[in-house]
Amino acid sequence: MSGELLEIENYSGAFRSPTGELTPVLHEVSYRLKTGALTAVVGETGSGKSLVALSVLGIQPPSFVRRSGRILFRGVDLLGLDEKAMRKIRGAQISMVFQDARAALNPVFTVGRQLADVYQLQHGGGRSAAMKQAIEALRRVSIPEPARRARQYPHEFSGGMAQRAMIAMAALICEPSLLILDEPTTGLDVTIQSDIMELITDLCRVGGLTTCLITHDLGIVAETCDEVVVMNAGRVVETGSSQAIFTQPQDPYTRRLLAASQLVEAAA
Amino acid sequence: MTADGAILQVRGLRKNFPVDGGRHLVAVDGVSLDVAAGETLALVGESGSGKSTVARCIVRLIEPSGGDVAIDGKSILSLQPRPLAGVYRRIQMVFQDPNASLNPRMNVRQVLDEPLRLHLDLPRAARTARVRELVEMVGLGAVHLERYPHELSGGQRQRVGIARAIAVSPDIVILDEPTSSLDVSVRGQILDLLLDLQKRLNLAYLFISHDLQVVQHVADRVAVMYLGGIVETGPTESVFGAPRHPYTRALLSAAPVAQWGVTRTRLRLSGEITSPIDPPDACRLVGRCPLAQPACATAKPALIEIGDDHAVACPVVTERIPTC
Repeated sequence: MSGELLEIENYSGAFRSPTGELTPVLHEVSYRLKTGALTAVVGETGSGKSLVALSVLGIQPPSFVRRSGRILFRGVDLLGLDEKAMRKIRGAQISMVFQDARAALNPVFTVGRQLADVYQLQHGGGRSAAMKQAIEALRRVSIPEPARRARQYPHEFSGGMAQRAMIAMAALICEPSLLILDEPTTGLDVTIQSDIMELITDLCRVGGLTTCLITHDLGIVAETCDEVVVMNAGRVVETGSSQAIFTQPQDPYTRRLLAASQLVEAAA
Repeated sequence: MTADGAILQVRGLRKNFPVDGGRHLVAVDGVSLDVAAGETLALVGESGSGKSTVARCIVRLIEPSGGDVAIDGKSILSLQPRPLAGVYRRIQMVFQDPNASLNPRMNVRQVLDEPLRLHLDLPRAARTARVRELVEMVGLGAVHLERYPHELSGGQRQRVGIARAIAVSPDIVILDEPTSSLDVSVRGQILDLLLDLQKRLNLAYLFISHDLQVVQHVADRVAVMYLGGIVETGPTESVFGAPRHPYTRALLSAAPVAQWGVTRTRLRLSGEITSPIDPPDACRLVGRCPLAQPACATAKPALIEIGDDHAVACPVVTERIPTC
């Protein structure tokens, strides 16, 4: 299938306060994720970039009220699906990696067990076969000694290793058609960040996985992403190819964001 | 090293934390540095490198295990609390997270008045005037004086943290990741403010950061830390322009650049950061370093001057060039 895997159309909404007051936070957000491409959704705190991604999976906060819009995945409006239908989409077709991997993993189960559980849930089969798949997935994300690591608990993993394990779960165990990563390298050191971004681009380029990278860091976008969506204060202010956004930004906010991200000229 | 006119001198600073089983986590392992009046020395490193521990030892928020810290040539490590308080008129600190470093129950006026009351013998009217002057110096206004931290944005809170640090007119300010919790557009404004204040007040900064772009933008000199030790130090242009230590090269080549068409050739370190608990007498990078030689595992290399105030703790790269 070519074209767009996911289309967000005029998605608007507000947060309802305990007193019933509505604060609008998303204003007619529209963007598309091309099949097989790596698209970055870029914005600063409060831009609404994560809220839209959570809405794709139907896990937006309960206080969020949709006012208009559709989220079309393969032509089907996800916002019209009931919980049972959404469960078939989550994980199997769209999966997500969160910022703090160690917080996203369950602290009382081994990492291998958690991957194996997800494998069984998605693909069925026995425990030991699932554990084999878990270890294989850890190996494919370059975790050294995967069999030993699979028996360890999340607290025994460094932040970078835990993020690799989460990517193994979301991308390799679930085998989704769309992978959403919400600030996957924020809080990691640059050397680790670089490794994780290489892993993500490999999955996208080699595996043909449609990938949506939500980030505030234009640096990691420039060298990895095909398409860029710039968001500010609940609006999409500009979309385009990476090259166009970085070389000919049109919107004043995009220009300001770029300027603020380029404190120094890159060394040749 | 700029020994002349250094306000802050740190020599052989060590900090060990005891861990289970009588072992020690060596957080800072013999760090020496100088900061001269009006200059910015950046201490760069990844998490666990010990850069924040160095900062905290210098102002004795934690007590160092060894080495010496001197302000204007006078050691401050043996000072009792009262004379130490006098030192804090010379050296102040700005913390990473202004949410955590500002008392939530004090408004901006009280936050800024406190150091004036503690350190300067000023009448109330003079303090009030000074507080007003301070908020204006950091780009806030009189309207902010009665606000509490939760009523301020992240950038405004960091401005208050900076105003508090410069309240007593120090000569040197230690900035511990001052922009790490801020959005990039706010980051730029805070950096501009810091550079402007430095010029106006002739402040020296010890700027601690993991953000290489920020460091390149603000620092005169850079010291790169890895696992408790400085592995490379020198003027910003030469460290960024011609990094020599394998760790510096790996670090710089991993930093992403927000520009189109920039391709980086990465120098890769294998594996993850090694344990700082009872480390062997060896180069801390051994086991991860692509250039490692057998000799690297037998002794911890010292910083070797390679000219132009640039020093590198790696015999593998320094022995290939004549020493100046």
